[in-house]
Amino acid sequence: MSLSDSLPEYDSDRALVFGTVAILLGLAIAVTPVTVTIPGDLYVFFEVGILFVVYGILVLGLDLQYGHTGLVNFGHVVFFAAGAYTMAMLSAVDSFEGIALGYPWPVGLVAAVVVAGLLGALVGATSLRLRGDFLAIATLATAEIFHTLFINFTDIFGGSTGIFGVPTPLGDLAGTRDATLVTTLLVLGGLTALTFAVVARLTEAPYGRVLRAIRADELVTRSVGKSTFRYKMQAFVYGAALAGLAGAIFAMYQGAISPDFFELQVTVTIWIGMLLGGASNHRAVLGGLGIIMGLRLFSRFVQGSAPVTTGEFASIRLILVGLVLILVIRYRPAGIWGDDRELEVDS
Amino acid sequence: MVRNSGGAVNRRTFLKISGAGSIAATAGCLGLGGGGGGGAVTFGQPAAQTGQWDFLQPGVSKATDVAVQGINDAGGLLGRELVLERSDTAVNPQQARTVVTQLTENEDAIALLGLFSSELEPLYDFLQEQQAPVITPWPGSNFLDTRGGDHGTPDDLSDDEWIWRTVISDTVHTAGAALRALDQGHDTIGIINGTTSGARSWANGFMSAYEGNGGTVAAQVEVAQGESNYQAALDRLFGNDFSAFAVSLPLEDAITLLSDWSDGGYGRQPILSDPLAQNDLADQVGSDLNGAWAASPGESGPSYSTFESAYQSGEGDAEINAWTPPAWDATQVTALAVERAGEATAEAIEQNLGPVSRGPGTEVANFAEGKKALDNGEEIKYMGAATPVTFTQFGNVVGSVVINEIQNGQFSQVETIPAEDLREFVPEGEY
Amino acid sequence: MGLVQNLIFGLVTGSYIAIAAIGFTLIYGIVDMINFAYGEYITVGSFIGLLSASALPLPLPIAVLVAMAGGGIASLLLAKLFFTPINHTGPIPMLLTSIGLGLVLRNAIRLVAGRNARYYDTETTTWQFQNVPDLSVGSVDLLGGFFVTSQQLVVVGCALSVFLVLHAVLTRTDVGIAMRAMSDDEALARVRGIDTQFIRNSVWVLAGMLAGLTGVLLGMQTNVSVTTGFSQILQILSAAILGGAGSPYGAIAGAYVIGVVLALSTAFLPTGMTGISSAIAFVILIAVLLVKPSGIAGQEVRKA
Repeated sequence: MSLSDSLPEYDSDRALVFGTVAILLGLAIAVTPVTVTIPGDLYVFFEVGILFVVYGILVLGLDLQYGHTGLVNFGHVVFFAAGAYTMAMLSAVDSFEGIALGYPWPVGLVAAVVVAGLLGALVGATSLRLRGDFLAIATLATAEIFHTLFINFTDIFGGSTGIFGVPTPLGDLAGTRDATLVTTLLVLGGLTALTFAVVARLTEAPYGRVLRAIRADELVTRSVGKSTFRYKMQAFVYGAALAGLAGAIFAMYQGAISPDFFELQVTVTIWIGMLLGGASNHRAVLGGLGIIMGLRLFSRFVQGSAPVTTGEFASIRLILVGLVLILVIRYRPAGIWGDDRELEVDS
Repeated sequence: MVRNSGGAVNRRTFLKISGAGSIAATAGCLGLGGGGGGGAVTFGQPAAQTGQWDFLQPGVSKATDVAVQGINDAGGLLGRELVLERSDTAVNPQQARTVVTQLTENEDAIALLGLFSSELEPLYDFLQEQQAPVITPWPGSNFLDTRGGDHGTPDDLSDDEWIWRTVISDTVHTAGAALRALDQGHDTIGIINGTTSGARSWANGFMSAYEGNGGTVAAQVEVAQGESNYQAALDRLFGNDFSAFAVSLPLEDAITLLSDWSDGGYGRQPILSDPLAQNDLADQVGSDLNGAWAASPGESGPSYSTFESAYQSGEGDAEINAWTPPAWDATQVTALAVERAGEATAEAIEQNLGPVSRGPGTEVANFAEGKKALDNGEEIKYMGAATPVTFTQFGNVVGSVVINEIQNGQFSQVETIPAEDLREFVPEGEY
Repeated sequence: MGLVQNLIFGLVTGSYIAIAAIGFTLIYGIVDMINFAYGEYITVGSFIGLLSASALPLPLPIAVLVAMAGGGIASLLLAKLFFTPINHTGPIPMLLTSIGLGLVLRNAIRLVAGRNARYYDTETTTWQFQNVPDLSVGSVDLLGGFFVTSQQLVVVGCALSVFLVLHAVLTRTDVGIAMRAMSDDEALARVRGIDTQFIRNSVWVLAGMLAGLTGVLLGMQTNVSVTTGFSQILQILSAAILGGAGSPYGAIAGAYVIGVVLALSTAFLPTGMTGISSAIAFVILIAVLLVKPSGIAGQEVRKA
């Protein structure tokens, strides 16, 4: 039997294996006295790669909410921020502004997931009984409210400055810059793969079938006796909790957070990546996210040779992004890799 | 039931071709990015070409380009051409991180001539790891008052914090405004400010200097950006008793706010934060604003006229603002550090920024003069356009502050507050 | 802190929002979509108005009419290009398309017009009424001195005329009555022989005209730039939902509630918290969704 035959068959199992191996490998590299070096030219790819895997957890959570359950969450960044801020406020040491309690980082991590999940429950309670676009508005409004709160309460949240001094356990373990980059990418990538495994396991099960039924036609699903509100709430909270996890590990990678890391742009990027790749297909949404982020990185390299100024280039890039969104919805609503079924979320 | 996508290019083929093409193109760019050795020397400039401060970037870009041109006309750095790579960060720390990595690793920049407070602060530890000197004209935040520079030991790199700024800290230049307000007999004051970090930083610096010298702040009202009118906030502020009020907001919101103030006939003496010393403000608000003043740093350095004449002969018509002369200074002093060091590396720059800026030595106003003096074997002291650029141990500068007052609808200089008066606000060892 | 003064401010702010909210909510009720690009319609209107007023130059009232016409045409064109072809796909894809369209329009405007803000040339007169007694209750002055500016009167006047004209259109014209019928129940309206696509097109034009008017008024009050309309979109949205999505009368009520609450919250929030007053609109929105999602007008909200 070749190696590929002995690998597990289901996506979720494969991802589980891959994720565990990646994390162990990453940690091994961190603790080993053997030095790792990577050429300086590749640093930027590692950094964007790390950001990609963090956003990857975000998009998987969003896909659970929208792709599988049909919930339109336009404030996903607020759960990301809630996780990051909880992590930072609980475990940072000696921040220039804001609260920094200095607890050990595992405490912050668990709290981040819990807080984000609770926030998800709260937001869900307001709008999950209503039609889909109301949820979009409620989530957007929540994101705006929290953004304003973070900026205005300097003593608590650090205001426009943010919170510094967040522990960076991977960086401390690894030591050198090269090793930190490799370790972080492997460990965080592994976490993303584990998230993939969990989410895929959930949606491959009968549970996932109920979610998709709700997305297709909630009335029918309810008439079959399923408490649709409960399922929707669960999917929403899981997605929010995953975003909280992403926020916590993001904070631990950066070592400091500020409101500028959690702007509407993050939500837009995640959404376009998800729709472009193909909502409801876990691998597809990661692929779509990769394309969007890859294009942005690529555009940085070529902007010097383009015959327009950088300001114009940035505007052109955003116009193209908007057009991609419009065209995908119109001509290929299932995305590049998605199923050829229309994704209708309102009956 | 799989619908045939009919007519469209086969999806897999399309993806394969575009994927391969992108990888090839990127690899090509990577290859081009490398190279160096005896070739050109690169400085990187993280820029605000999009984002909320982008109206200030054209002046800074022009000042930098004009300085680079002058350097190359004088023979270049150590005889090699100086190239400036500019990259947009949109004043966002996430993008700034990518830009910094790309400039230092892929473009081989040996110094970075930009970065804002909101980027420097969250990325502070990251920048320390980079070990590339950052000489920036932007950040006024008091976070950097006790961080940065070489801690007074140029040769010893182990205690260096790598961040230098050629603009005066908000803590210092707002003291100029506070002093003048008190001089003019305004013992009580009201403050209205925005919630951006720059607006708050100015307001906090002003308040601490003002109260520290015996003034009383009667009321402070914070407002959000982008509102359609600020009447309610003004009404709240002016319900209090004071003879002057300070405004610290982004320019367009300030225009809206002060137009509302003018409409409401509230009167009293307006004091403006330094980014507001733009003639657009005077134009749009009208004659009610005559007599309003701002304390502008960075317009009265010893070699300001050298800068100004070079700037005016450059391309484009970007207006000079408070960050334009510091951008010129940043470029000049970094180039001089390279020239003195005799080698074009990040460490060499870090070790020589102190010596070329602190003196003693022949006073020079730009790279050409400095190069000549160095070739003669002399030590040099760079005298800047914004300030004398005498870097403190934390990489900060002090300079005089010019009071710009609106007269007949235009800003004109009426007074200069010397650096010595401002120095006492930042005791030795704390700046 | 005179209550009267703050009520005046609230009414003025409410008027801007009301005019725009009517257009927004009509789109919601009849085309059945949330149009996130509506802010850009406002921006386009303010640019057209500015160009006519300064470049041509036309007197300001004519420029306003040109802006309204331009807004209506632009709105119809954009609808035909982007929204009408996907009408059948449902509100979510249309919502997402409008977000993409907003992104495209904002950056296209930026490319063409640049980043700098431009200004209308206006003169404002102020009338002061400072001799009114204070009538204090605790720390709050029920009356107190106040002032009114000519610009404020123009805004409120425009809003009132819009409301009257709208009421007339909705109750006395065939198109208006058909709009109300469609907003209530589209299938039934079609059964009655109403050409639903024609009515939708009319709504786009009407909403575009209202956006154009709002754009000029906003531009006069602040400035004309890429973000003129975008900065108000969330308040417009909140007003429409608060009033009962789909009901123009509700939108008017909701807009004034939001305007007055904004003014009062700036006046009475504790020091140090005044910066969050702009988020109050969103808090109201969430509260409405929690308590009474059908809004002030009691519009039936289809449950999922």
